[in-house]
Amino acid sequence: MVAIIDYGLGNLASVQKSLNFLGIKNLITHDKVQIKNSSSILLPGVGSFFQGMKNLKERNLVNILTEEVIVRKKKFLGICLGMQLIFERGDEPFPTKGLGWIKGEVKKIEPKGLIIPHLGWNNITYNLEKGFKDSLENNFYFIHSYHAKPKDFSCVNSYFDYGGPLVGSIKKDNIFATQFHPEKSQNSGLILLKKYFKGNA
Amino acid sequence: MLKIRIIPILTFNGLSLVKTKNFNSTRILGNPIQSARVYNSRDVDELVFIDITASRENRKINLNLVKKVIDECFMPVTIGGGVSSFDDISNLLKIGADKVLIKTKALDDKKFIKRAVEYFGSQCISISIDAIKDNENYIIKDYRKNNKIVNEFIKEMNECEVGEYVINSVDKDGCMSGFDIELYEQCKKLTQKPIIAVGGAGVPEDFIKLINSKFYGALGASSIFHFTQFTPYDVKTSMKENNISVRV
Repeated sequence: MVAIIDYGLGNLASVQKSLNFLGIKNLITHDKVQIKNSSSILLPGVGSFFQGMKNLKERNLVNILTEEVIVRKKKFLGICLGMQLIFERGDEPFPTKGLGWIKGEVKKIEPKGLIIPHLGWNNITYNLEKGFKDSLENNFYFIHSYHAKPKDFSCVNSYFDYGGPLVGSIKKDNIFATQFHPEKSQNSGLILLKKYFKGNA
Repeated sequence: MLKIRIIPILTFNGLSLVKTKNFNSTRILGNPIQSARVYNSRDVDELVFIDITASRENRKINLNLVKKVIDECFMPVTIGGGVSSFDDISNLLKIGADKVLIKTKALDDKKFIKRAVEYFGSQCISISIDAIKDNENYIIKDYRKNNKIVNEFIKEMNECEVGEYVINSVDKDGCMSGFDIELYEQCKKLTQKPIIAVGGAGVPEDFIKLINSKFYGALGASSIFHFTQFTPYDVKTSMKENNISVRV
């Protein structure tokens, strides 16, 4: 059972639709018991870093999520803001402390004449040195203005190019997190979700 | 590399899918759910669905129907039509809309847009502009005939930090004679935000012409997909042959 965390932000309906389509059991919840009883945790999210942390705190979710993911090592997937929040700090719209599971911070994409947000379909390049490869598909839908900067780049699972290489996804132990939206990325996304939740990725 | 998006635009009149010409002479086209299903199976980049008569008829959009449209889609969906309150936006996001498209309310109430961006995030607030050439200026076609100038309106919306613009050419709408290149030439100078250019595409070359005019936004179309043999895939294949970065 995948617990899709409801913290008042993010496109829960689309995430659930994708999991349902793949026949992956799930529920949308912010209930502690249900989160404890789940086998995996999915943190979606659309919105600002500050609002995301505020909402997690208001629903008393920070400790339980940290307990389940960091201590009990449950399989975790963070999407978009759900990836950004696992870092130590974010800047959107002002400096805010994050969940801190991965060392590093989330900064605004520097314009360099580029259109912000980074919106649309982009290729990712897997960090093959680390042996991570979750899907043959590599074309995903992005929509964001901030990007993750880990302290230790060995956790980087993939990069995308937007005025230089930026972090597309993170993978470390039981944590997997994507800046792009697999639930909005047609077959590429469905394959990735299937492999992650049904396979041994 | 970020790809140029090709986006089918579905226009709805509260009862059925329709296609207009110059925003008039409506043709009935059938069932939006069926259409969404076909576009999803064709793996399109994104979809825009607009109830084009909701504001004028003082109606709310039919959420049950829109939910069924969205349920067919495993790609991003923008929904517009009669959006004028936080509840309207929230209801659409809850059923899975990624972006909400606002026109009439944005013309009337800049503060509302600003507050909506602060609350929901700029990524989901898109602004629709229906541009019509009037002597030297482009003005906004609005059923109340306010004649607002496009350039001024874009500046106001930039201040609100909206996420995206959908800019329709009324003069080109349904004509299938090519995009209004001059319109987008003007608009892209006014904003750093993404623009979806809509109106006038009739053959794949029309898309290529607009991109070759150094317009790097997204391209929307409907007549070409409703009335010709060309699919979004055909358009993108032609673009790719012309060294334009697309997702095929």
